[in-house]
Amino acid sequence: MRPGEYRALVVFAALAALPFVPGMSRYYLLLAFDALLFGTIAMSLDLLMGYTGLVSFGHAAFYGLGAYATAVLLERGYTSLPLCLAFSIVVVGLYAAVVAYFATARRGIYFALLTLIFAEVIYTIFRYTQTFGGSDGIQGLPDAHFWPGVPIETAMQKYYLVLGYLVFAYVVCRVLVASHFGRVLVAIRENEERARFLGYDVQRYKMVVCVISALLTGLAGAIYPMRSAFATPDLMVWTESGEFIISVMIGGIGTLVGPIIGGAFFTILRDKVSSYVDWYFIVIGLVLIFIVLVMPKGLLGIRRLFRRTVEA
Amino acid sequence: MKRTLWLAMVVTVLVVASLALVGGGTFAQSKVVKIGDLGSKVGVFEGYGKQATMAIQLAVEELNAKGGVLGHKIEIITEDDDTKPGPSVRKAEKLILQDDVKLLVGAVSSGATLAVMDVTKKHKVIHWNAVSCAEFMRTTKFHKYYFSNQPDSRMQANGLAKYILDKMGKRVYIFYTDYAMGQSDGRQFKTAIEKLGGEIVGVAGAPLDTKDFSPWFGDINKTNPDVLFVAFAGTDSLRLMTQLHSFGMTKKYKMAGIDCFLLQADLPAIAEPMEGFVQLNHFSPYNPDKDMQAFNAKYKNRFGTDANITSGSYDGVKFWAAAVEKVKSFDADKVSAALEGMCLDGTHVGRQCIRKADHQVVMDMHLYRIEKGKNVPIAKIAGSDSIGEPMVGKDPVEGFSWEIKKKK
Repeated sequence: MRPGEYRALVVFAALAALPFVPGMSRYYLLLAFDALLFGTIAMSLDLLMGYTGLVSFGHAAFYGLGAYATAVLLERGYTSLPLCLAFSIVVVGLYAAVVAYFATARRGIYFALLTLIFAEVIYTIFRYTQTFGGSDGIQGLPDAHFWPGVPIETAMQKYYLVLGYLVFAYVVCRVLVASHFGRVLVAIRENEERARFLGYDVQRYKMVVCVISALLTGLAGAIYPMRSAFATPDLMVWTESGEFIISVMIGGIGTLVGPIIGGAFFTILRDKVSSYVDWYFIVIGLVLIFIVLVMPKGLLGIRRLFRRTVEA
Repeated sequence: MKRTLWLAMVVTVLVVASLALVGGGTFAQSKVVKIGDLGSKVGVFEGYGKQATMAIQLAVEELNAKGGVLGHKIEIITEDDDTKPGPSVRKAEKLILQDDVKLLVGAVSSGATLAVMDVTKKHKVIHWNAVSCAEFMRTTKFHKYYFSNQPDSRMQANGLAKYILDKMGKRVYIFYTDYAMGQSDGRQFKTAIEKLGGEIVGVAGAPLDTKDFSPWFGDINKTNPDVLFVAFAGTDSLRLMTQLHSFGMTKKYKMAGIDCFLLQADLPAIAEPMEGFVQLNHFSPYNPDKDMQAFNAKYKNRFGTDANITSGSYDGVKFWAAAVEKVKSFDADKVSAALEGMCLDGTHVGRQCIRKADHQVVMDMHLYRIEKGKNVPIAKIAGSDSIGEPMVGKDPVEGFSWEIKKKK
């Protein structure tokens, strides 16, 4: 076993043991669900931001579409987990293919703007379509089932569902970035012209990674209604995409693990601070400014700070 | 190996820190019972959320001064619902699963309250709604732990539609905020107006927290209604009235609005645009009713400001405490059973009774005309005339259509 794999195993084992920590409540498990889900989405976005150099302001649409795909099925009594996930893959995949085709034809700020515009269109459609519950979304959903007769109803079951998905998504991302495909992505990020000169079909690579990132985000979205029992247009709003980007930045861009920590940190910080302060986003903003200024490599870069302090 | 240890250390620190944070909100005291106050503390409905908190505080102070409930001191845990279903559900779960509240009062936005109803149903917690008014709460979404003393859209429509047609005009334009509450009001008022022989000449919905309403004004002017009925709330209402006034439309049309359109505290600041506006309210500090005056006096004495419709939260706590004392238990099933049909004196509007069938308080409503920033009472509608038949489990909007039926 390689050191990286060993480290990942230790961390996932620690997360698997979390429900058995003394004093652990059902609420905290649900909070852990939110933290890991957010972290998974941030990691999926890191494939684009950290490895390909593409900043997407439209990931909330993938997330929301995945959630709605599940919600529509659950509302109609189709509660099978595999069915919900499969349907989400189809829905998000089709949308992602369209977005990726057009957005990857442009670079930099234009890519970001195109993803944002597509996401706003999707948000508006769902916001105003009464079939999907309009602004209130689809609420009061029944529990999904792992398989017939085994519902996903307890906080612990939901936690292990999202943890399982995090492991799956992490393995996919890790394999991807370690492959030849991943190295081409890094080449595109570093010098797109040179990558093209070397004969790589740059747009095709960007499209593929865009769709993979979208699918991983969409699957996370598909899991969300199994915990919250609703899907609303708020999941698709552009500020949600902004929070994903912030999570990547504060965790450590281009590291995969960093965004998971960033997403989890952001979720817990938001939840706890908002319980004590009305204008909680000001406090969160100050914390984020501090992290960006003092730890430009993100929370994962805190190691270097420690090392420097020790050496000093 | 060093890196592995470091990573393990980070995970451990995060877990322990999170646990410490979560644990920080709990109290080790015995003989304390917690109640949850969930509402908008910032944003478009901030006024309603903060005033509801004050009303809850007043009720708890009065109860604690008399020894609390069942010998337990009552403690309020307040959470901001962000006016959205997602955060509302998360905070409701926190209040129930982490803080172990025995009563949850909230939320403010109807969309948020509807989402929270699933949580209170699942975890079997008494849920009191004192502000939200979507019609689904006591119909399709109803559950045995849910209670409300906020007149819902159907009650408001039954109360106001007849007055509009008798005194203000037959041709009505409905302009509503496009989410659960506004849609609900729009549907119920359209149904009521048409049923009574009036004509709806146009309907339009603007998103919650709209900054510029002028794109909708052209359509309103084109239909030239007798009455412009507006179903908005909070800062949306303030902006809408200011903009309508600047376009000369508050003078051009007679205007009427819903129960929560504006709070009394907001009226003086917007007195000119609101002049002549007819608003339905179940409570006003300017109503000469002795019960309202008595409540307003103690509220004003405590907080230095007038009470308003959100004071229904005060009643929610008092009803719950009375039911707990009656059954000598905090058990939600027993408390729910005790609340069904219960009557209580000394609420913000005097005596209130909860209808057993749909857990709705039967409450008189009042119509006011706004003059120089004050509510002047002009009519009273008996609660029994406006509450309508119980429709638990039935679709309250079955067969409804937004289609405009042109009259010749």
